[in-house]
Amino acid sequence: MMAWAIVRHRFASFAGTFVAIALGVAVVACSVTLYLSSRPQPPERYDASPVMVQAPSVGTNDFSESEIRSWTTSELTDLATKLRPEPRITNVIPDPVFYVQELGTEDMGTAQLDGHSWSSAALGGYRLTAGRAPEKRGEVVIGTSLRKGTGAGGSIEVLTAVGPETWTVTGTTDGGGYYVTDSDALARSSGVRVIGLTVTGDPERIADSARALIGTSGTVLTGPDRAALEPAKVTRIRWIGAQLLIAMVVLGAFATVFVVASTCALTASQRRRELGLLRAAGATPAQVRRLMYAETALIALLAGLVGAPLGAVLAPLVAGPMVSFGLEPPGYEATWQPAAVGGAVLLGLVVALAGVAVAARRASKVPPLAALREAAAETRSMTPSRWVFGLLSLAAGAGLLAAMPTMATESKTTAGMGAAMLLLTTAALLAPVVIGPLVRLATGPWRGSATGMLVREGTLTGVRRVASTAAPVLVTVGMTVLLTGMVATIDEAAGIDEAADIPAATVLAPDGTPGLGETAVSAQTGTSRLDTRVLVTHGSAVTGEDATGVAGAPVTLSPEAAKELGASIGSAINLRWADGTVASLPVEKIDVNAAAPVVLPRDLVRRHDPDALTALVVLKGDPQPAAGGRVLSARDYAREQVDEEGDLVDLFLWVLIGLTAGYTAIAVASTLLMATAARGPEFRALRLAGAGLGQVLRVTTAEALLAAVVGALLGGAVGVFSLTGVRAAVEDEMGREVALIIPWAAGIGVAILCAVLAVAATAVPVLRRTELAR
Amino acid sequence: MELRAVTKRYGHAENAVTALDAVDARFAPGTFTAVMGPSGSGKSTLLQCSAGLDRVTGGEVRIDGVPITDLSERALTRLRRSRVGFVFQTFNLIPALTAAQNVVLPLRLAGRRPQPSEVTARLTEVGLAERAGHRPAELSGGQQQRVAIARALITRPAVIFADEPTGALDARSGAEVLRLLRTAVDRHGQTIVMVTHDPVAAAHADRVLFLADGRVVDDLTGPVGSEKIAVHTARLEESAR
Ligand SMILES: Nc1ncnc2c1ncn2[C@@H]1O[C@H](COP(=O)(O)OP(=O)(O)OP(=O)(O)O)[C@@H](O)[C@H]1O
Ligand SMILES: [Mg+2]
Repeated sequence: MMAWAIVRHRFASFAGTFVAIALGVAVVACSVTLYLSSRPQPPERYDASPVMVQAPSVGTNDFSESEIRSWTTSELTDLATKLRPEPRITNVIPDPVFYVQELGTEDMGTAQLDGHSWSSAALGGYRLTAGRAPEKRGEVVIGTSLRKGTGAGGSIEVLTAVGPETWTVTGTTDGGGYYVTDSDALARSSGVRVIGLTVTGDPERIADSARALIGTSGTVLTGPDRAALEPAKVTRIRWIGAQLLIAMVVLGAFATVFVVASTCALTASQRRRELGLLRAAGATPAQVRRLMYAETALIALLAGLVGAPLGAVLAPLVAGPMVSFGLEPPGYEATWQPAAVGGAVLLGLVVALAGVAVAARRASKVPPLAALREAAAETRSMTPSRWVFGLLSLAAGAGLLAAMPTMATESKTTAGMGAAMLLLTTAALLAPVVIGPLVRLATGPWRGSATGMLVREGTLTGVRRVASTAAPVLVTVGMTVLLTGMVATIDEAAGIDEAADIPAATVLAPDGTPGLGETAVSAQTGTSRLDTRVLVTHGSAVTGEDATGVAGAPVTLSPEAAKELGASIGSAINLRWADGTVASLPVEKIDVNAAAPVVLPRDLVRRHDPDALTALVVLKGDPQPAAGGRVLSARDYAREQVDEEGDLVDLFLWVLIGLTAGYTAIAVASTLLMATAARGPEFRALRLAGAGLGQVLRVTTAEALLAAVVGALLGGAVGVFSLTGVRAAVEDEMGREVALIIPWAAGIGVAILCAVLAVAATAVPVLRRTELAR
Repeated sequence: MELRAVTKRYGHAENAVTALDAVDARFAPGTFTAVMGPSGSGKSTLLQCSAGLDRVTGGEVRIDGVPITDLSERALTRLRRSRVGFVFQTFNLIPALTAAQNVVLPLRLAGRRPQPSEVTARLTEVGLAERAGHRPAELSGGQQQRVAIARALITRPAVIFADEPTGALDARSGAEVLRLLRTAVDRHGQTIVMVTHDPVAAAHADRVLFLADGRVVDDLTGPVGSEKIAVHTARLEESAR
């Protein structure tokens, strides 16, 4: 009853907490909605095939994805023969997939999934909308959605793994992509890994009997389980998006705990007198603590009910940009995710209770005597628990930084962020230690003036208030300096690395295509790699390895691959090609400079992987013009590759900085607003003592600036300190010295932004209540 | 309600202030005592130490025969909740709660569910029955003090401490508050200890205790006229100079 009465009566004084939680919940609800909406889906092309068979999985790769082998042609025939007798199966349709792209168009990342066999159109329930089915090689039915205007009877110029081709369009269909004859598709694809069934009857029952018929030579999938058939390419795109979303949730949750903890502490210290009165009226410390928890839980719930729907509404608006930035596959849409919305509300509650824990403990120690004192001028701002937790998180953060060089590369960024979060917590906890000296130093020159005196005494007796208002600035500046500095340092280091060992050569690189076709490559004199993937059996295990075909190369392994596969020169490796056939090849060479973990003769690779593409030709002679390829210097090519990766990193960076900065900027404003609003009586007394409105404003502005400066200095210090840790890790990785790049501009920029917000937020409550009567 | 050789020192070492210096006092049940003395003489300190709001430096305080000096914070809170009532000069009420809610606060904190009739009875006693649903901000200073008295009375405490309850009020509201306190003593046998500067207020008490420099310097019993109190006060302030 009491918590509700207090929350309702003094909602304004909880504004900071409310805003912080509402925003945090909105961020989490939005990110989690996007994340959950992006679970693998059964491809739309399989809509009319409720029961499907996937080729056997032979193990999992480093991304914990299944390694699926292909069926050989004879296995396919065998499977079809086994399945056909089941009367409820009306058709057994293998689904070969291959690369097709219309000449002159840009690949949006899925061109390698666009070529199909005409019979597979039935799996999606697609029909001819005009013309007839393809009957011989060189004929194609194209999706109407794909290319308007080209009707049956025309022709179309395309690029495939073979090279540029001109096909006759015999018809159009309501499905997407290109449909050629079954035998043509089979010949072009890198093996078949999916068979679709068209059926009449209950899919589950049919699936059971299909399982009985084929045994272990395939995995039968029905309904939503067919999501396992989503192409790995699409799943990878989702994975990248998921990384960003996970980072957003973690950062959002951290910022929320952080800001909630400091606003709760602020509220608690502003209410000392009221809490003292409660204690005098007979409340036990435990009851005071419970009251604080109850109030915060209420606020968190209200904030969650505002924030969660906001997040859910925002998610669909973010989905579009995510697709265009390549963070989600085409066709991705944010859907209504009750779990995300409910979970976010719950998380907000938990995070808020965690944030209020310390404040509640402190509030419960308010003595009943506090009721008798005017707004207590605190004398001791550092408590033992502040010291203990501050030093503990300092030790943990510094330890994490020190341990970074020995960590796996993937976990380094996470460790850096974790260390920064711990150090930011340290800075917030230990802030009161530096605030005192800093205030004395800053106000020294104006000690004689009234403003100087008021600011000095006001902040020195309100160190915790300053610490609370400085906290959001601290996170903003700290995170900005760390994130931008981290990327700049790594970029710089990588830049030197690239420039160091790129030969002065000319290369032929793909031009808006996923790779170069055979014709383009064979027209050139130079060296190239034909990339494929092989599954190597060693002992009882199967490992997927990236392999490449190099003209005239001996069978070569990198030392790492040789170790993993237990192979040595002269021993044979048993591998399965992309087309499902197996081979045993003797290892001829183990080479540190091998172009890939497994290097194989090019013609062998081409024979077993008809759809393989070449990523790059390093030219020896004059370049020959080739469709879908462009000529540039090796150096430019390398720079482009780095830039492309850099673009993605930049995108991540801007989203994360935008999120933290946006979040904390709002927190800066709301915290200061509530801190200043609570000081109404103080300012009124000041006015009554003869201060003009301008003088009061000068005092509040100076205090706001002081808080911003404290936050910016501490945040900057944490950022730079974390950066040195990141640099040490990068140096260790590269085995040489790396320059530390401190992003002054970004750091100072956000600090100024925070200061402006802080000043504006303090002026509002002062200007809004100018009347002197109570 | 008894104090034995109670000493209270603030601060440490050289800048320590002795606010109470071995004070002995007994407040008999059903009596109304006024505590007077010059500013800084230790009146508020005496009250706070007696009520267990503050810890004494030396000596012993007993409420209802229970020595409170060694009680844990929890036990002390319980004792305060059930056996002690307070009325301060200002800021007696939780701003978020209505008058009625403020009155029942001690009972609710003790985990009891008060009868609505009980609340109405208490508010009627202080003449505020029709203001039950109002918040402190909507009440005058005198009305707020009356709500505070109703709250202090609701637990039927062994003793009520009041620190200048009329200090912030005009003469009429002050008189009303004093009349309420007096009634509580006469009708319910309530024990009250009240700090005041005002001889007129002190005249409502059965006994007047004079403090100076942390010591009891005078103790007048029986109905004491305000003129006599004023004379005593003047004499004390004279000697303090
Ligand atoms: N928290 C404190 N810290 C230090 N000294 C204190 C504290 N509280 C009171 N004192 C000192 O103890 C002495 C007694 O103070 P007390 O408040 O009891 O006086 P008082 O008689 O109530 O005065 P007044 O009539 O002005 O209210 C004073 O000298 C005062 O300065
Ligand atoms: Mg006093």
